[in-house]
Amino acid sequence: MGEAIVITSGKGGVGKTTTSANLGTALALQGKKVCLVDTDIGLRNLDVILGLENRIIYDLVDVIAGRCKIHQALVKDKRFEDGLFLLPAAQTTDKNAVEPGEMKELITELKRDYDYILIDCPAGIEQGYKNAVAGADRAIVVTTPEISAVRDADRIIGLLEQEDIEPPKLIINRIKSRLVNSGDALDVNEITTHLSIDLLGIVLDDEKVISSSNKGEPVVMDPSNPAAIGYRNIARRILGESVPLMSLDEGSPGFFGKLKSLFAK
Amino acid sequence: MTKQHYVTIKGTKDGLVLRLDDKCAYSDMIAELRNKVSENSLEGLAEVKVHIGNRYCNEEELKEIMNVVHESPHLRVSKIQSEVITIEECNQKVLENQSETYIGIVRSGQVVKADGDLVVIGDVNPNGRVVAAGSIYILGRLKGIAHAGATGNEEAVIAASWLEATHLMIADKLETMTDELTILSEQPEMECAYIHSNGFIAIDRLQELRILRPNLSTFKGGS
Repeated sequence: MGEAIVITSGKGGVGKTTTSANLGTALALQGKKVCLVDTDIGLRNLDVILGLENRIIYDLVDVIAGRCKIHQALVKDKRFEDGLFLLPAAQTTDKNAVEPGEMKELITELKRDYDYILIDCPAGIEQGYKNAVAGADRAIVVTTPEISAVRDADRIIGLLEQEDIEPPKLIINRIKSRLVNSGDALDVNEITTHLSIDLLGIVLDDEKVISSSNKGEPVVMDPSNPAAIGYRNIARRILGESVPLMSLDEGSPGFFGKLKSLFAK
Repeated sequence: MTKQHYVTIKGTKDGLVLRLDDKCAYSDMIAELRNKVSENSLEGLAEVKVHIGNRYCNEEELKEIMNVVHESPHLRVSKIQSEVITIEECNQKVLENQSETYIGIVRSGQVVKADGDLVVIGDVNPNGRVVAAGSIYILGRLKGIAHAGATGNEEAVIAASWLEATHLMIADKLETMTDELTILSEQPEMECAYIHSNGFIAIDRLQELRILRPNLSTFKGGS
């Protein structure tokens, strides 16, 4: 029996879909059997980021309407030997085409065959959010170090705490270490105290995230990329390992840099 | 048949008291009251307290009693006093006088309400709202909206370990905690908000509360 994790944020554009794709891939890299479910009906993206767009035949609404079997709609990621699957969202209808009860049934069925089901939640707190949360056992809230994203995260955490699921965990995405170190952005500590939930991990901002998404290959495949390391660490924490939080100091001057600045004075 | 008096007027040191019998039929009492007030023995304009004893009168009946008394040009009702209230009113009174405790974080979009005082153990985050008919005490950071004395109690206060609210409301007064406000402190630690005698919401140290609002204390005994 697998575990269903919903990835949500309230605010749009903080990286829910990117996080879903990368965590799913990272868990598959760890040898787990993973199914990604895109619930952003009408505005699907997860398939694009995974590079699976042109393999879609059936979608989530087809499954729920009974037009096909689940396994017919699942798209296999060829990079993994039976490790990573995607249940794409429909693009031609809207979020009201699905009911939370139907979603719950679908996720329960998927849990029989997969170790992890990652549910990519749409932005907002309406029907789409309710559908995405319906079948989940756990929740991950994604935010960025911006005040508006943190406010929306607070709202979504309040809603999640009323659901019958484990307390949500936090991912702080797109941290610009330069801004944090100069004190111009909210720091990790500030955000976690404000939201008072457990921090699951942080992901540094990196240009490669966008360029690799555009190529349909999640950044997490590159083991040396700082953002990828963040995602890999989070995946290991999901699996129950204890991994120390990565430091933000990669941008600060090294020993010689400090020496240089000393003479410059 | 001896005529019973259902209505008696007495002069006390607190002024005139109109005592209405609580055993007779309501209609008999009203009829006699109408007679009594139309007697011409009164002069000038006097305030009168109406005691209705153990009779329960609803809003309409109270209004009728008042109107009948006001038929006399000489009498004005200052107060109607009754010995009884309904269970519903009683329960409401109990609620208003008790304090409710909420443990947890009041997050954005959430509202926590209390009929009496409210104690929050945890933070009130921005866009979170706490509302109480009585006072609000927060063991944590108040960063959202607090409304004390929501049913009109101007004596109510808002106290917090860290008072950094966006909006403070007491009774019908509202204060937006903008940067221009001079009452804000750099370190808003252990503070309370109350309605100052000038009619505006003021903020002071928590320690001043015992002087500003001594009546808030319900503590009895001790040494």
